[in-house]
Amino acid sequence: MESIIQITNLTKQFPVGTGKFTALREINLEFHRGEFTGFVGPSGSGKTTLLNIIGSLDTPTEGEVLVLGNSVAHLTHKQSAQLRNKHLGFIFQTYNLFPVYTVYENVEFALLLQHLPAAERRKAVMDALEWVGLTDKAQSKPAQLSGGEGQRVAIARAMVKRPAIMLADEPTANLDSKNSHHILQTMKQLNEELETTFLFATHDEKVMGYLRRIISLEDGRVVKDEEIMMDKITEG
Amino acid sequence: MLAFKLAFKNIFGAGFRTFLNIAVLSFAFVIIIWHNGVIDGWNQQARRDTIEWEIGQGQLWHPDFDPLDYLSYPDAHAPLSAPIKALVDEGQLAPILITQASAFPQGRMQGVILKGISPQQHILKIPSSKLETSGDEAPALIGTRMAKDIKMKEGDQLLLRWRDKNGTFDALEITIAGVFNCNVPTIDGGQIWLPLERLREMTGLPGEATILVAGDGYGGGGQPPWIFKNQDYLLADLDMIIQSKKGGGAIIYGLLLIIALLAIFDTQVLSIFRRQKEIGTYIALGMTRWQVVGIFTVEGSVYSILAILLGALYGGPLLWYSAKVGWAMPAASTDMGISIAERIYPVYGVGLILFTVLLVVLTATIVSFLPARKIARLNPTDALKGKVQ
Repeated sequence: MESIIQITNLTKQFPVGTGKFTALREINLEFHRGEFTGFVGPSGSGKTTLLNIIGSLDTPTEGEVLVLGNSVAHLTHKQSAQLRNKHLGFIFQTYNLFPVYTVYENVEFALLLQHLPAAERRKAVMDALEWVGLTDKAQSKPAQLSGGEGQRVAIARAMVKRPAIMLADEPTANLDSKNSHHILQTMKQLNEELETTFLFATHDEKVMGYLRRIISLEDGRVVKDEEIMMDKITEG
Repeated sequence: MLAFKLAFKNIFGAGFRTFLNIAVLSFAFVIIIWHNGVIDGWNQQARRDTIEWEIGQGQLWHPDFDPLDYLSYPDAHAPLSAPIKALVDEGQLAPILITQASAFPQGRMQGVILKGISPQQHILKIPSSKLETSGDEAPALIGTRMAKDIKMKEGDQLLLRWRDKNGTFDALEITIAGVFNCNVPTIDGGQIWLPLERLREMTGLPGEATILVAGDGYGGGGQPPWIFKNQDYLLADLDMIIQSKKGGGAIIYGLLLIIALLAIFDTQVLSIFRRQKEIGTYIALGMTRWQVVGIFTVEGSVYSILAILLGALYGGPLLWYSAKVGWAMPAASTDMGISIAERIYPVYGVGLILFTVLLVVLTATIVSFLPARKIARLNPTDALKGKVQ
């Protein structure tokens, strides 16, 4: 399988007062196209930091992170914005939908940045909404949606541009069990049908049940990296 | 274009707060146009009246004449040369003889300026023909300000005392043949208009004048010893007063604009504070920081555009109505010492409106950009968490 992310000796430190806090220590990982992988670990273990660096929202203090051949540390603001816009999709714990836009407009947003023609945008948005089963909510505002629907819109917004990598930070933390499974099934379907690589930061057992690779982090270090056999993966 | 689209959506999404900002800014917009329109209307009216009533198309001055120095008057006169006389006869120049005198209204003594003007002249709007048709022995014209000062009306008599060219005192009782109403105080206050030939006779200066007012046909230029003063020179004081009036007005509407802009600034600061997650999401979805700065800056511009539209909606009819019915000046304004009509009709030029539109859009954009710059320094990961930075 094609390798799309390579992480070599990654260390990330944050200034805290006069000192420094090390969030990630000498991480070495590699991810391939079509993976369905999760970073698990307690709060403060570095899951979100790792996801942010892969998403080029943050940069390494030391080491190198190559995403689709681009060294995150050496990208300009514009280049990293292009990388995010074209190849990366983000799903957040709190959905982060734009409250003044409709569902349709929220999903369309990423495509507007790509300056696609209106007809092409419309088709892509409706396809994405169909994927997540929300075509009937296209004209609703985020405030009119349930938590599960909100997160499905966030997924549609992330996948509408068909990114190579989806980064999901605690995507089910605000959802009940039924909605969590619904969301995870949607993401799994995307992963299988579009070969989109999914990377999760989670400590939700329900998510872990769907993962095919689990990387455990503790105090910024990888303590375990295990492949899950297909027959062990929870269905529904 | 994208920034405008997003800015419009964000602004309309903000609801009542948007309306308040737009309302305040539109009020400033309308007031700026109205105030400048009044000043421009006043300016045009004052210039027009001053030209029609006092300065014509320029004036020829005797070299010793200084309108602000009364002591120069006894020496500031000269006979009219043949070419000048020809121009006077053709109606291109109107000679005026000026001298100092004392009037004795109600037994009090008051210094006045006597001005001799030909009853046949048509260059100035002063109703000098009344000096010829009144049938009085010594007819005189005064303006309403002067009439009020000396408590005189048409038909009243007034004792004058003056010195002739040799410095000898003489006296005469004149009859007020007419009281004219004019907006130009410099031909009214403290002045008495007499028939030119009568004043020449009184002063012993036959065929002489102090100044000559040029009419439409006059080609311009001096006629030695007369020095030509063009309209720009003669209107310089008026222009200066108008400018200072504009400056004073600018302070008022500047304050109004600042209040409106402060509201936008405040909204933008609050927006950036409250919309951290949104900013982080914009960046995560592929916008550069400066593109996000652009959205927030354009939001300020959109406020101003909406304010202009709202201002046009209610301000258009209001401004049109004010231009039609004018603005009545208070009675005290006649004592201001400058030309001011009883009713000023504001003039709203295209230049004024375009300038105000530009001013409002530009200042609103700048005050939006100032807080929005902070976004360029935001850490997107903290912004995504909604952490205040």
